[in-house]
Amino acid sequence: MQNDIRIFFTKTGMAKYISHLDLMRCMSRAFKRAQIPLWFTEGFNPHLFMTFARPLSLGQESLCEVVDVRLVGEMTFKELQTRMNAALPQDITVVSVQKPVHKPSEIAVAEYEIKLFSDSPDALCDCIKSGFAAPQITVLKKAKQGRKKIEKEIDIKPNVLSFKITVQDTYVLLHVSLTAGDQNNINPTLLLSALTNGFPSEIENTEILKTKILLENGEQFC
Amino acid sequence: MLSRAQEKLLAKVQKPARYTGGELNSVVKNKAEVKLRYAFCFPDSYEIGMSHLGMKILYSLVNERADAWCERAFAPWEDMEALLRENRMPLYALESGDALSEFDMIGFTLQYELSYSNVLNMLDLGGVPIRSADRTDLTPIVVGGGPCACNPEPMADFFDIFLPGEGEEVTNELIDLLIAHKEKGSDKLSFLREAAKIEGVYVPAFYDVSYHADGTIEAVTPKETAPATVKKRIISDLDSVYYPEKFVVPFIDIVHDRAVAEVFRGCIRGCRFCQAGFIYRPIREKSSDTVNRQAKCLCDSTGYDEVSLCSLSTSDYTGIESLIPKMFQWALPEKINVALPSLRVDNFSEELMEELKKVRKSGLTFAPEAGTQRLRDAINKNVTEEEVLKTSAQAFRGGWTSVKLYFMMGLPTETLEDIAGIAELAQKVVNEFYKNPDKPKGKGVTVSISVASFVPKPFTPFQWEPQDTMEQLVEKQKHLIENVHTHKIQVSWHQSRTSFLEGVFARGDRKLCNVIESAWRKGCKFDGWDEYFLFDKWMEAFEENGIDPAFYSNRRRDFSEILPWDHLDYGIRKAFLEEENKKAHESVTTPHCRQKCAACGAAKLNGGHCDAK
Repeated sequence: MQNDIRIFFTKTGMAKYISHLDLMRCMSRAFKRAQIPLWFTEGFNPHLFMTFARPLSLGQESLCEVVDVRLVGEMTFKELQTRMNAALPQDITVVSVQKPVHKPSEIAVAEYEIKLFSDSPDALCDCIKSGFAAPQITVLKKAKQGRKKIEKEIDIKPNVLSFKITVQDTYVLLHVSLTAGDQNNINPTLLLSALTNGFPSEIENTEILKTKILLENGEQFC
Repeated sequence: MLSRAQEKLLAKVQKPARYTGGELNSVVKNKAEVKLRYAFCFPDSYEIGMSHLGMKILYSLVNERADAWCERAFAPWEDMEALLRENRMPLYALESGDALSEFDMIGFTLQYELSYSNVLNMLDLGGVPIRSADRTDLTPIVVGGGPCACNPEPMADFFDIFLPGEGEEVTNELIDLLIAHKEKGSDKLSFLREAAKIEGVYVPAFYDVSYHADGTIEAVTPKETAPATVKKRIISDLDSVYYPEKFVVPFIDIVHDRAVAEVFRGCIRGCRFCQAGFIYRPIREKSSDTVNRQAKCLCDSTGYDEVSLCSLSTSDYTGIESLIPKMFQWALPEKINVALPSLRVDNFSEELMEELKKVRKSGLTFAPEAGTQRLRDAINKNVTEEEVLKTSAQAFRGGWTSVKLYFMMGLPTETLEDIAGIAELAQKVVNEFYKNPDKPKGKGVTVSISVASFVPKPFTPFQWEPQDTMEQLVEKQKHLIENVHTHKIQVSWHQSRTSFLEGVFARGDRKLCNVIESAWRKGCKFDGWDEYFLFDKWMEAFEENGIDPAFYSNRRRDFSEILPWDHLDYGIRKAFLEEENKKAHESVTTPHCRQKCAACGAAKLNGGHCDAK
């Protein structure tokens, strides 16, 4: 459809506590307040046609969230962006509006910047490094077998495409690139739980920021 | 803004967005630039509190002032409370993240008797001594309002001030006074002495209550600057009174997640069991232009796709016929649903139903309240069986396949025959469905009957009546079930234990303050939530304080008895309530206020004016 548009936005700060379901409601109200002429479904209960590329987990921040909508009136992308940013709550900001190029299903990789705060960041860094170095990174993943909910053990080492780890004064800084998409999406929380499993002292705080979403060939999703 | 330590807790709780603040339209000011900080507290969960219209009004009203900042606080859920206590962190207001103890004024709305334990819990979590006498500094001043302020006696020891009546004007007057006293470095007693002179301000500590040997009240004696009776405040002109242009829009789903336009205050009906029908009198209506403008404005500023009209009985609003087309004009193109709750069966017209079909179809609920005409006459619920059946048939023809019916159990003069009548009426509604020749194929009908336990309340004709005991209620519930013969009728009811406790506090006196504190110390909180209600702890608390709860709930009062709320003046004459009580026992109805003014007395609050006259 030629009127389809793609909106990139950031969701940072306190907005990380807005769940995906709540975000959908929040967005649709913002579109309404901003008076963006958008297409509604035509069923008995018309609702705003709106597709999010990949849901973000509660508690994680992101610089690269995506929502697709369908414009039914005249409005420049610049105007749309300005109006949306006036209507959105603090900590959710539209960074660009464009015509969609790729399909959301083409998303294959996500990059994260993770900060793990700890009293002993050096030890924590070593612990994570040895976790990466092990032949396997096994996690328990919730899955469905038919209708039954099961937990199965899987090795996610193949899903870790690259990583870089350094120690800052109070935290461990980890850049990691993980497979993403409908089939083999890996939540970084799952990876972290496996990597820090053997760490004896408490991790005070974990900040997870999604920085990029990419295609299979490493190109930026746009 | 939350501190890092506060944020750390959020990672560990359910629904963290309850505790973050930062919602659209929430107000953040610089605390160094305001003279007074007000914490508006709702003693229940965020989802319930954020649905409350009164809080939205007062929040915006106070924040209109440049010299004051109003913030919000709610009862934290169990997981958050545990984390706060474990980490020795105080309950904070959402906008600043500051502890309740840092505020100048802490306001609680008392919507429901079973939220009393939460008030104590929130004060304690916020670092504020729970008893008024233990708060010796000028600030914080703890203020209570809402419907339960019409008999706040069970909470008298914990509050500095109660505000019976409507808060739009008196809140600002009280804020002005407290700012003045802060600036001159005054003390709490001097402030309260001045506050008690403001009309509609009740300072409970300025009244001595003495009791007879049988536990009834001997006298209520005012002292200091307190008047003998405190007259509730009302807003005279609803068209000019402040109404917010913005609501805070929550991130999480709350109970009533929509814009709300208030259409009128008071009620013309005079149902004898209904406290709201009496304490909000006299009738004052907003013009349909005002309602329409305010509704549109709120939808624009919030982005809500639903707006609800708010009043005690929407179809009694004289402007309804002109309002609906006006609202539909902008709401339909913008795909905004207009919800009309509280319609009555006796004036629910075919035309109105046609209009309603233009928007989303919601459930249909009727409230006959009682099963037989005799009892409906006794409670002055002027709805006939014929009207219920006619409207149900109309609804079934309109495509509805389920109807909800609300009833009460334990009403004065009620017999088992009246209880069986509930089941019979529901059966007749089921039969109406099958009489409809165009009924949808392959679809059955569901009639849900929800039966609440009647709780006698102050300022109603039934304020002298004994409440049914829990045993009587259980027997009646059994009788009802035995009289339901089809699965098409679904029955649900309230827990009789919570109704019993609600009844004790509704008509309680100051002797109950100690009981509430004891129960809270034993861990009672969220008493309105079945999963948290600790009935046995409450019974222990009564026992330890030598109080028989049945004295308050199950005892018939003599008309001559001094009632704990007699020194509060809600405009309604006590003699009028007594006449209404006697008529109830003779099953004699009273026409509604537009048919004939019953001279209840409330119009005196508004210079003799009442919109029903």
